[in-house]
Amino acid sequence: MHSITLVQGLLLAILAVIVGIDFWLEALFLFRPIIVGTLTGLILGDLQTGLIAGGLTELAFAGLTPAGGTQPPNPILAGIMTTVIAYTTGTDPKTAIGLALPFSFLMQYIILFYYSSFSFFMPKADKYAEEANTSGLIRLNILTTAIVAISYGVVVFLSVYVAQDLMKILVKSMPVWLGHGFEIAGGILPAVGFGMLLKVMMKGQYVPYFIIGFFIASFIPFSNLLPVAVIGAALAIYEYFNSKNKLVKNEMMAMNGDDYNEGI
Amino acid sequence: MKESKRVLTKKDITKLGLLSSFLQASFNYERMQAGGFTVAQLPFLKKIYKNDKKGLSEAMTDDLEFINTHPNFVGFLMGLLLFLEENHEDRAIIKGLKVALFGPLAGIGDAIFWFTILPIVAGICSSFAMQGNALGPILFFSVYLTIFLLRIVWTHLGYNLGTKAIDLIKTNSQIISKAASILGITVIGGLIASYVHINVVSKIAINAKHAVSLQTDFFDKIFPNILPLGYTLLIFYLLKKKNVSPVILILTTFILAILLSFIGVL
Repeated sequence: MHSITLVQGLLLAILAVIVGIDFWLEALFLFRPIIVGTLTGLILGDLQTGLIAGGLTELAFAGLTPAGGTQPPNPILAGIMTTVIAYTTGTDPKTAIGLALPFSFLMQYIILFYYSSFSFFMPKADKYAEEANTSGLIRLNILTTAIVAISYGVVVFLSVYVAQDLMKILVKSMPVWLGHGFEIAGGILPAVGFGMLLKVMMKGQYVPYFIIGFFIASFIPFSNLLPVAVIGAALAIYEYFNSKNKLVKNEMMAMNGDDYNEGI
Repeated sequence: MKESKRVLTKKDITKLGLLSSFLQASFNYERMQAGGFTVAQLPFLKKIYKNDKKGLSEAMTDDLEFINTHPNFVGFLMGLLLFLEENHEDRAIIKGLKVALFGPLAGIGDAIFWFTILPIVAGICSSFAMQGNALGPILFFSVYLTIFLLRIVWTHLGYNLGTKAIDLIKTNSQIISKAASILGITVIGGLIASYVHINVVSKIAINAKHAVSLQTDFFDKIFPNILPLGYTLLIFYLLKKKNVSPVILILTTFILAILLSFIGVL
């Protein structure tokens, strides 16, 4: 059992501001739980917990991406809170993922609110464009980014510093089956992420590759997924040249109009 | 062809590649990335239009129209469009190219960055981190720093390709997305087997001495990881065919896990 000091709370808030801007812009990917968890661990002076919590959370969130303009449960709050809860309460990081989830949803909804409400800034932007007022448009963009950044700082400071006693009481009063349930949920949760990935990517023609990947990982015990990735890359390169050849053939057929009728 | 009047230097294009990172600075549902898209190009539009306030205003107005593309590849589009602005091409061409390209670029970008690179890099780096090895996050950061710096390369590529770019994208985008999808799908298959854990602890008592463990004597004998695969495919089905929201699926998974833990099945 540890407590978060005021300095640690402020440092975590600053961390949240920085990685919050990074997530808003999708720039350096510092916002991923594996980085956020590690940095949180460093601030708390418990790198090991940060690494383990960050790694676990990263996997659970690997499929929850903002691709196509959708906003997933917030990876920053998940990374910070999983680490903080594991550190302050001594719970297993696997269990802590579940306890961190409400914070992650909270931030997700705040960002969704901004996505909608920032639409109201656009008429102003149009006016700046009409006047060719470049500094006005720059100011507007800085303002929106600053609103997001400050929100991250405030939410994280309140969550880690102000609400930490509440969290401890919650964890202490938790029955065994509930803790175990959280741990199990942590193990199954990646399925939702992978389901999301499949939803946007899966087509009938890709089923063989899915089966190959699943089989290799099920039957070759190895500490990471590199073998699967290498085989996947081989298949991708094969398909690339295959498709390219077909394209060249089609183009040749199109050029020689006479041959077209003889084909197939 | 109009005469080329170069006002942008190589250094400008490098700067554009870095500034392209502001793409989502004022992201909103109405125009998506339009605000940041315009702001990133402003220093260079100013250089091109100088005292032509009307020209600058027209360019800004066009850029403020709806756009939703990929932050990693948008530099390519900005480089290309600024090349056209620099040559004072027809506004309709500039607008048309933008609208034609931002969608495919988003598709390729999502397939490559979110659905291929992220699962692979996250899977490998997390396995290090979970063993308490700092190599995990360090490796992760190095990969993404490289990807970030490549934005400068894409921007130069877009600028240099000029009008040829549209042909390149159109002929190759489908093949590139397809190859990337194949790699991604293979890895997702592997991820499911490695990272989704469902372990049934229930045993069926046959007599006083013997009990059949559902997990080791039944599921594992049929096929290892059959439950993780089955549950993931169920989620996939609900997302795709029933349009269930991911948040509901996460909550349901949670409640189900706790419930099954309470009655002692998992």
